[in-house]
Amino acid sequence: MNAPLLDVRNLEKTFPGVRALTGVSFDVRAGEVHALLGENGAGKSTLIKVVSGVYQPDGGEILIDGRASRFTSPEDAKRAGVATIYQELLLFPELTVAENIFLGHAPRAGFGRIDWRAVRTKAEALLASLEIDDLAAGQIVGSLSVGHRQRVEILRALSHDARILIMDEPTAALTEADVTRLFGIVRRLKGRGVGIVYISHRLDELFEIADRVTVLRDGAYVGSRRMADTNSAELVQMMVGRRIENLFPKTLVPIGAPVLEAQNLVCHPMTRGVSLTVRSGEIVGLAGLVGSGRSELAQVLFGITPAERGEIRLQGEAVRIDSPEAARSRGIAYVPEDRAVQGLVRPMSVLNNFSLAALGALSRFGFIDRAAERRMAEAGVKRFSVKTSSVDEAAGRLSGGNQQKIVLGKWLANSPKLLVLDEPTRGVDVGAKAEIHRLMGDLAADGVAILMISSELPEVLGMSDRVLVMREGRLVAEFDRAHATSEAVGGAMMGGGANRERAA
Amino acid sequence: MSAAAETALLRAPWWLKRHETLLAIILAVALVGLGAFNDRFLTLDNLLNQGRLMTEIGLIALPMTFVIITGGIDLSVGAIVGLSAVMLGYAWKTFAFPLPLAIVFALFVGGLAGFVNGFVITRVKVPPLIMTIATLALYRGLAEGVSQAHSVRGYPEAFYVLGQGDVLGAPTQLLILIVLIVVAGVALDRTTFGRALYAIGSNETAARFSALAVDRAKLVVYTLSGLASGLAAVVLVSRVTTTRMDMGMGYELDVIAAVVLGGTSIFGGAGTIWGTVIGLVMIQLLKNGLALTGVKGDATIVVIGAALIVSVLIASSLQRRRE
Repeated sequence: MNAPLLDVRNLEKTFPGVRALTGVSFDVRAGEVHALLGENGAGKSTLIKVVSGVYQPDGGEILIDGRASRFTSPEDAKRAGVATIYQELLLFPELTVAENIFLGHAPRAGFGRIDWRAVRTKAEALLASLEIDDLAAGQIVGSLSVGHRQRVEILRALSHDARILIMDEPTAALTEADVTRLFGIVRRLKGRGVGIVYISHRLDELFEIADRVTVLRDGAYVGSRRMADTNSAELVQMMVGRRIENLFPKTLVPIGAPVLEAQNLVCHPMTRGVSLTVRSGEIVGLAGLVGSGRSELAQVLFGITPAERGEIRLQGEAVRIDSPEAARSRGIAYVPEDRAVQGLVRPMSVLNNFSLAALGALSRFGFIDRAAERRMAEAGVKRFSVKTSSVDEAAGRLSGGNQQKIVLGKWLANSPKLLVLDEPTRGVDVGAKAEIHRLMGDLAADGVAILMISSELPEVLGMSDRVLVMREGRLVAEFDRAHATSEAVGGAMMGGGANRERAA
Repeated sequence: MSAAAETALLRAPWWLKRHETLLAIILAVALVGLGAFNDRFLTLDNLLNQGRLMTEIGLIALPMTFVIITGGIDLSVGAIVGLSAVMLGYAWKTFAFPLPLAIVFALFVGGLAGFVNGFVITRVKVPPLIMTIATLALYRGLAEGVSQAHSVRGYPEAFYVLGQGDVLGAPTQLLILIVLIVVAGVALDRTTFGRALYAIGSNETAARFSALAVDRAKLVVYTLSGLASGLAAVVLVSRVTTTRMDMGMGYELDVIAAVVLGGTSIFGGAGTIWGTVIGLVMIQLLKNGLALTGVKGDATIVVIGAALIVSVLIASSLQRRRE
């Protein structure tokens, strides 16, 4: 048999204070999709950065076509045929599809001028070769959907004659339809003999598209399996090092008096007359497509964009929520959707992030009690088992799941009565996810009212006592736990006419 | 840098790697060097006199540190100094206010000018750079209009204690500056207000989502900036015994240079009062030391520019190493 396209042997990488990779090996053959699996912080990102030349390994070998290779820069890797498509797409929104594909290596006419005709025909040939017929070479990238932009990235990689394509969570931001089309493209690339390294948290996807899988845990190699010979239970166990009995540890707790009663909230343009009630001890799931107005509703409740009309009652008392400060003082906490931008001050330490929403309680006459602040952060790190070398570490250097625990923890320090969670487990690995779900159960048992926005239907169905469905800025359906099936909720999200009535 | 030096640097204790410490070391070396060239430089008299001369810039540099930590900038401070100085003279001479009331009026005008900056920046969301460029012109224009290019002189002798006199053997205004340095340093390092400034400068959205009073904090720092400029104007008038409408011209650059040289990130989120103080002292003593050594004015500016660039290079290379 031929040498594998890419063969990684005993890779080692150490950052100051952290062993990011120890003895990691895996290989990719032509025409194979090899998945990398592991919790956040397991070392997947470091591994692909080493393979794509961003980091230099401290030990071990990388073999391309059986020959040892050393990449000192991403350009080196590109020349060797390794291309990487990151989660954040690196395209120029003002340029066309063809310009983006050939940026930096456009075909030349005489005197160094760019041969625009060749750029266009080559781009069209690339599009045709992957049978992409709904994308034109002349379209401006800024006007394209995420799925389309990702295709442009793939084409750019192919224009470099990439033979090894690394895809980092390519489906994280895609709709169902885009995922299906991405898989079509991946299969076509396989057919051409391209080797693909595929990273995803979604196990069901891996069973659909991958041939083999390698699992990492805490920077170390755990094992490789053929997808045909394994199952999700085994993979999850390999990933977290223990069995996770129940993905959604829903505990039924007695439900008390209403905490939040909102009447006819309006905030232009995405909140168009929303009424809802959340009771003490209750977890209400808020389902809906991206753009249906769920996060906007949460931000109305939290005072970021105060309601223009309507009434909010908290524990029976009419209140005005016209700023986040007002919301916090009334006992409302909001864990936002985008933790990098809205949730964390990434350059600040874990310590200072933990205390940020509770500074008032930690200070006297405006002076921060720094000993109390440290005690609070250390208790938080322990309670939420945040993996960090110390509370003085910059929060931005932690893995996604650990960052999310800090955002959650900083709000729980205020002992809120109403907790609004916006995608609480997005981009979080299986282990941290289960911990966050267990925590939600504990909070509900303590009488906290929880409103949870989630795009992951199993999570909504698994965790909620009641499910509300939002579409185009309005609540269009409500289901109690017994009636909330994925068909019913999914149908209401999409706007199937039959689901307009309230099922509860 | 050689590999050995690099490891040595990595192993050095944290306080040695701080920008402020490095700057203090450079300052000490420069002091000794300049002192060796000139025996008038390292005398108590000369140093105290330099303290007197740097006070106006220093007073404004304290709130400017706050402003820059929030990721903002205030270019109108020099113009506010001019406006407040003119208002002091106008209130005393034309309105015939008693001098203490005229001083309060000048401080009020400075604070109000800063408040207007902050109000428009937070409410109308005009970028601070644009807003304060606009008010730089506006306030200077007001100063010219009110003063009609007339200068005011002949203040009572007692007023000059502030700008020319000594208390406890040190220049009066220097003592005021030292007290305010301590107040500003403690406020930035120990209070919720200071913490909010760092959070705003690092990630304003997250600060807002953490229920920090972002707009109020910004309004306060721009108002303080105006107030400090007003105070600097009063000290300056007392020191030079005259009110002129072009007072404070170009101060904004000296102030920003001291703050940035002191290690405050122009992108916001990082910086200390102690750094600003070292930056301030460094610029003043370099100017003075070079002048005493016989270096011409133009060359002094070149040296200060070079010092700024070197310090920023050191800071950014340290930053990279830490990451």
